[in-house]
Amino acid sequence: MTAMESIDIAFPQTLPEALALMADEATRGQPLAGGTDLMVQWESGVRPPPARAIDIKHLHELHEISETHDELVIGGAVTHAHLRRTAMIRHYAPALAEAAATVGGGQIQAMGTIAGSIANASPAGDLAPSLLAADARVVVASVRGERNLSLQSFIRGYRKIDLAPDELIVRFVIPVKKPTEREQFRKLGPRAAQAISKIMGSYRGEIRDGTITRFSVALGSVAPTAVRLPDVEALVVGRTLDAALLDEAERCAAASVKPITDIRSTAEYRQWVSGRLIRGFLEHVGADN
Amino acid sequence: MKKITRTWIINGEERSVEFPPARRLLDVLRENLVLTGTKEGCGEGECGACTVMIDGEIVVSCLLAAGQVRDGSEILTVEGLERTPGGRLLQNAYLEKGAAQCGFCIPGMLVSSYAFLRRRPDITDASIKDAHAGNICRCTGYIKIIDAVKAAAERWPADEVVKS
Repeated sequence: MTAMESIDIAFPQTLPEALALMADEATRGQPLAGGTDLMVQWESGVRPPPARAIDIKHLHELHEISETHDELVIGGAVTHAHLRRTAMIRHYAPALAEAAATVGGGQIQAMGTIAGSIANASPAGDLAPSLLAADARVVVASVRGERNLSLQSFIRGYRKIDLAPDELIVRFVIPVKKPTEREQFRKLGPRAAQAISKIMGSYRGEIRDGTITRFSVALGSVAPTAVRLPDVEALVVGRTLDAALLDEAERCAAASVKPITDIRSTAEYRQWVSGRLIRGFLEHVGADN
Repeated sequence: MKKITRTWIINGEERSVEFPPARRLLDVLRENLVLTGTKEGCGEGECGACTVMIDGEIVVSCLLAAGQVRDGSEILTVEGLERTPGGRLLQNAYLEKGAAQCGFCIPGMLVSSYAFLRRRPDITDASIKDAHAGNICRCTGYIKIIDAVKAAAERWPADEVVKS
């Protein structure tokens, strides 16, 4: 029997049952949904397998996909495959659907979940930038009740999230893209599938009467967490999109990220590409406007 | 370690099996159920050799704790393909086009092809490549695999289609 096979998995049938298990130190375990990050870490020994895990993959409360008022609600255990296929998500949060379609391959997409991607809190996680650019919120729950936080404040640092030991990520609440807004996700890596990104990003923006009225942009793999670029946003909002602004924004973006060199890319390349991505996003929001 | 029992529909047959809950589905299939058609390549979800289909979705069985597969789930491994007209058609298309070289990736590749064709997608090079992006062929024999999927798509049985 392998070390991993010694993990005791609990199989609660409802969210309240799962939260009750999480509430008690004697029954608490590592929440396990798609397993695409955790199983690799446990099998390779990067992280020691926990004594206990709690299977939350099938909890029906975590599979909601709905639209209410001006918001999309997406349950934590919704998979990348469903994010990319669901018409409502493709319509109201297209960059999120695009990002989900670039994760791993079809198998990883059918297993990995939106909450798992955020909980893993890797700076190279593909879903965070489009959620950040859309001002998404995250709802976490415990037997003590629910907390509703901005995703930006929920992601605390490199592989750190604002989640108490007894809490589970329940759902994401995403303001819908308005008909006048555009968004796009872009990713650079050595190949399209099964490769962790060198850098990726997403934006949501709007131009009215020639003036940029919204430009929210976030990049991944340029800092310890996925980050919004407030300097770039402040620079371009209220301005007219022209060649000079594109140059300014590209320089501003490159200057406002502090990437590192690692096995996947160099700091210099990531800095340069950050500028180019921002230029591309501005050209995208400005096309035919 | 306590064991659990799960009852699944594997390749159309109801089978009950007992295992530690965190045992990989790959190991339960190969060792407990002696369905050795499913291969282990990388063991970390990169290569797709261990791909099986569960309730219509392809998964890598090396990254799935078998206990997470619920009772009543329908599991298709490469051994189950010969049970359906579409599966047999697909196997023959791989043979006709010479899609298998060393063959190690083929069980996973076939399952990905089958899941793809069941969704009756638009058949283009891009959609076929996307559907097999999680399956790596170490012999790099991708062209003939794409040809085989296209050939199978042309004659795909209408009653082996699901809505996505």
